[in-house]
Amino acid sequence: MTEKCIDTTCRMCGTLCGITAHIENNKVTEIEGNPRHIFNKGRICIKGSSAATWLNLPDRLRKPLKRNASGNFEEIDLNQAMDEIAEKLLNLQQEYGANSIGIWKGEGIDFEQQENIARRFAHAVGTPNYFSNDTQCYASRHIAFYLVYGCWPLADYANASLILNWGTNAPISHSHWMQAINEGREKGAKLVVVDTRYTEIARQADIYIQIRPGTDGALGWGIIHDMIERDIIDHKFVDNFTFGYDKVVEYAKSFTHEKVAEITGVQPEIMIQVVNEIAAARPRLASWPGCGLEHQINGVNNIRTMTIIDALAGATDQEGGMRIPIGFGFPDITLYEDKPLMESGPIGADAFPVLYDMRHECHTGLLMDQILSGKPYPFKGLIMTAANPVLTNANSQKVKKALSSLELLVVKDLFMTETARLANYVIPAASYLEREEIFTNGARRAAFITGKYLDYGLQTEYQFIKGLAERMGAGSYFPWEDDHELTEWLLKPTGHTAAELHTAPGGYIFGDNPCNKHWQKLASGDNRFFDTPTGKVEFFSEYLESKHIPGIEGLPKYHAPYQIAEPDPEYPYLLSTGARKQKFFHGRYRNIPQLYKAEPHGHLEMHPDDAKKLGVANGDTVRVTSRIGSFETFVQIMHPKEIFKGSMQHTHGFADQNVNNITYDDIHDPISGFPALKSVQVRVEKI
Amino acid sequence: MKVITIDPTKCVGCRNCELACAFINSKTTCERKASMIRVNHYIDEHAVIPMTCLHCDDPWCMAVCPAGAIVRDPDTNAVVIDQDKCAGCKMCMLACPYGNIHFDEERHVSTKCTLCGGRPRCVGHCISGALNFEEVEEYAAKTRSKVDEQMSRRMRMKCRPTGVSDND
Repeated sequence: MTEKCIDTTCRMCGTLCGITAHIENNKVTEIEGNPRHIFNKGRICIKGSSAATWLNLPDRLRKPLKRNASGNFEEIDLNQAMDEIAEKLLNLQQEYGANSIGIWKGEGIDFEQQENIARRFAHAVGTPNYFSNDTQCYASRHIAFYLVYGCWPLADYANASLILNWGTNAPISHSHWMQAINEGREKGAKLVVVDTRYTEIARQADIYIQIRPGTDGALGWGIIHDMIERDIIDHKFVDNFTFGYDKVVEYAKSFTHEKVAEITGVQPEIMIQVVNEIAAARPRLASWPGCGLEHQINGVNNIRTMTIIDALAGATDQEGGMRIPIGFGFPDITLYEDKPLMESGPIGADAFPVLYDMRHECHTGLLMDQILSGKPYPFKGLIMTAANPVLTNANSQKVKKALSSLELLVVKDLFMTETARLANYVIPAASYLEREEIFTNGARRAAFITGKYLDYGLQTEYQFIKGLAERMGAGSYFPWEDDHELTEWLLKPTGHTAAELHTAPGGYIFGDNPCNKHWQKLASGDNRFFDTPTGKVEFFSEYLESKHIPGIEGLPKYHAPYQIAEPDPEYPYLLSTGARKQKFFHGRYRNIPQLYKAEPHGHLEMHPDDAKKLGVANGDTVRVTSRIGSFETFVQIMHPKEIFKGSMQHTHGFADQNVNNITYDDIHDPISGFPALKSVQVRVEKI
Repeated sequence: MKVITIDPTKCVGCRNCELACAFINSKTTCERKASMIRVNHYIDEHAVIPMTCLHCDDPWCMAVCPAGAIVRDPDTNAVVIDQDKCAGCKMCMLACPYGNIHFDEERHVSTKCTLCGGRPRCVGHCISGALNFEEVEEYAAKTRSKVDEQMSRRMRMKCRPTGVSDND
């Protein structure tokens, strides 16, 4: 028996920690942290190491399956399955139109090049309909950051003097950030956490602010108000590199201490303390917004507001501030320029023009309505790579109904998920140890490569999509033989090779990323300092104003979510969903026995006063009901400081306590189209 | 010899250490009851304290064990229980001043941290950096330089002319 240890990247969540996998006879036996990795430095979470169990589970899919006439799955040869799927897709396109099919990228397989390969495939075969999990997590922050900065910045925690976290919980969601946060704290940084829940990160906060759900924007404007009043403004930066400051000054005027306290529940003295910290720390202010903000109807604007704070403090592209990344120059493999297909009606592009414009994401929620109604055009066939929307999308019952009514649903996954059970074909997926891919981090100028270290003869994502494209007459769009050829092609313009990157799987550094790139540009006469329409940091967005979205202006004005402004006496509690547990990633890993045993059920986390009012004790079963349905779950009473009274939390992804049975798919942030998963009006009854 | 050092000012109570310890010991579960390391979270005190066996130089558990089941592993310096010899009398649990010995209810024997044979999984899973496996002198040196840095920062602050801030 020979054991080898290889350094690669963990794909159990999106954080991308470095791992060392012990491999024996084509089987992974143990996974530990890679001490040579530039971010996680040898430390990983339980999901990462549990992959050694997960990848070897006996029920892992190894053979393609096809649903037969009686509704049961039977094994089918891979080539035959691919032939049949391609033929059905072509038939659907012929019968209902080229746009009647689509592809949906999930995170369960997580092939970095998968997103753009899927986008390329869709357009190559003539449909604009590309979907992904990003429209419920990530895309909203992307839009907000790009509106203000024109890029996705990096909070330089390790060198910060003040770390400001809004509705984000690094220990659970982005584990390796925690080391950088603690490095900064060790060097003297203060930590401020704003969250309705006293989360793990709040436990080390110097200032913890328990804010009323959905009101972060008002607190942000209150901070801006004080920064202007006290002249805690980097005027040189604001004058040279920003757009719309005068409008910020005007609008911030009304956000007095009294008004902010009334909206947010945050007392003025706490806010003054935070402003004092900003004054002392600037420009070393590293700030980050999380999903806690995204899942409100005012999400994008709240995130823009806190980004304005960073810029006013002069933190933009400073050491210890918000670092601006440098691109790698990989060629774009999508076809949005060559074959935009706007006339084919990308689903959701009319309803959420900014989401489509800035992210080229079709809307997964509206997809369900379109499948069921056939309007504005029929949608009949969907290819899904390891997504599990039956558990993870808002309004699960509708998702189930819609996906079940498709003429063709193909799911490629490692396991038989709740969504795969609805499919006509289920194709086994190769895991992240069975293929090559590259990742990059533009702020650190680092690239990471993985390789094929296990081989079970399973088809990779690239082979799957290339195989379908070839069978559908679009093979010329996929000239690369395999993932490795694609990697080499992507790297070519950079002058580096895959072999070079393989010498440093824990982070191959392409070069330096100097601070203050905007000053360098100014000196060299280049006035496109940032990648926004004005070339400046945009406090005010003419682009956004030009979209004429009801209630949305160029400035990220604060509007209270109506769920908070006008509570519904029939559904008196505000349910927040989507907070993660360290053992799971959205719908995944409940099938890892040791993790399941440690947390077999979902719980409704509530304030003790609310529990008293409801007459419930820990472990009691309750029914939680919204306007669209109900589900049963177990009570967990929190410490009174852990959760905002009147609001509750339930984590998603538990099949038997599926909170998405009651989340609304028709209440959105009008900019991003994100469902308001963090303010679901519910009532709760003991049963 | 290396020891597990604990810095409660970095711990966020994510419990990845507990989950990993439970699994490496039980091979079947990540339940907290199977973990040798425990993280206690005190909300009112705003404190999180991880605690695991300190592998004392003069271990009271070893001295009190009537079966002679507790010995020191010469390779790792860990204080370990030979569970084949353990009679399940729980004397070691009573003797440990830190409460770091646990009882395996299924096998009716005492159980404790073994340092995983020199590769403690709790440390490898400590995503915040609160736990480290290091020479104790190394830890002391790090602590000294941290204190030095804080002191010099205070001295710099005192010396600064009035009216001049870091931003000027």
